[in-house]
Amino acid sequence: MHILLIEPDAVAAPLYAAGLQAAHYTVATVASAQSAIGAADQQAPDVVIMEMQLGAHNGIAFLQEFRSYAEWQKVPVIIHSFQKPPADTQVLDVLQREYGMHAWLYKPQTSIAALVSVVHRLGITV
Amino acid sequence: MVVYYLPMMRAQSTGTDIAQERLLVSVAEQLKVPLTQIARRAELAESGVLPVDSRAVRTEATAALALVDSYLLGLELLTSQESLELEPVSVSSLLTDVAHQLQPYAKHYNVALEMTLAGKYGPVMAHRAALKSALLSLGHTLIVAGGAKETPQDRRVILAGHKNAQGIAAGLYGSLDVEPADLRVALSLQGAARQPLASLHDSGAGIFVADALAQAMESRLRIGRHNRYAGLAMTLRPSQQLQFI
Repeated sequence: MHILLIEPDAVAAPLYAAGLQAAHYTVATVASAQSAIGAADQQAPDVVIMEMQLGAHNGIAFLQEFRSYAEWQKVPVIIHSFQKPPADTQVLDVLQREYGMHAWLYKPQTSIAALVSVVHRLGITV
Repeated sequence: MVVYYLPMMRAQSTGTDIAQERLLVSVAEQLKVPLTQIARRAELAESGVLPVDSRAVRTEATAALALVDSYLLGLELLTSQESLELEPVSVSSLLTDVAHQLQPYAKHYNVALEMTLAGKYGPVMAHRAALKSALLSLGHTLIVAGGAKETPQDRRVILAGHKNAQGIAAGLYGSLDVEPADLRVALSLQGAARQPLASLHDSGAGIFVADALAQAMESRLRIGRHNRYAGLAMTLRPSQQLQFI
């Protein structure tokens, strides 16, 4: 399974990538929404793991653009963010229904093992 | 009892209290970043995925501690009943010292750190510890922002000093997409918005801590430019006494 990891922190990104690779996933890491579109185009991700707080463009802007391409409309998205999940369940419903959000993980409280477990539960086999 | 007491305290909060609470929230949000890095690094080492990297842990912890100390110094200076004693401080010497301290963090984030001193000028009147803390805080913030850039020419932070009409500007510059109005908005949103400066992916606490320290020295942070780079600087009054020597 190929994962596109959108992580703006240059120190944290290789740590998450190493943890996912140790679980036998291939990982492409990018730091920004702009680069993520290019990386998705080149590498056709099976899953996107993304921080919502991105410089220049926020996560919602990325999701809107990402979902506008027909070939990526079914790709599940895991939000892995320093931002806590919204308390409003309607917002979560919209993110699930419109943007394919599979889970929203609060980064400080999510171990890499828990992140891998969420990816694993997607059950995608390639 | 507590239920009633806390809202009363809240109602009695002054504008200054609220500003300090917001700065504290911003600092707390920022501290999650290095603490999470350390926690995940420890997890990977425990599971045998990566070896223990004690230098990385030390660098991450040192930056976090510097932010806490800078915040506390700003709080101490702003709430002190005594007037702040300014002393003549050499900007070039201080920038060199700050660059030396920032170097490991810049290396950690794979960001090039440079220093430029335009022209010759004497000392400025400043609180040495406050000025150093402010520049360190700005440096940590700009290095993290620089680390998120994907081209080597943008992964650059410059410490610079130069003369302007009001005095000597000391600050740090990088590939930030910021305008003067952005800082005004960010200062009003600190601690309330997750990304007060859209060009940063974090709380930008280092900028607000630096501004608090600048305020303690009766200056403020300003958006400035150094060649093609945008950044943040504070202008300090030259030391008149030593200029005549």
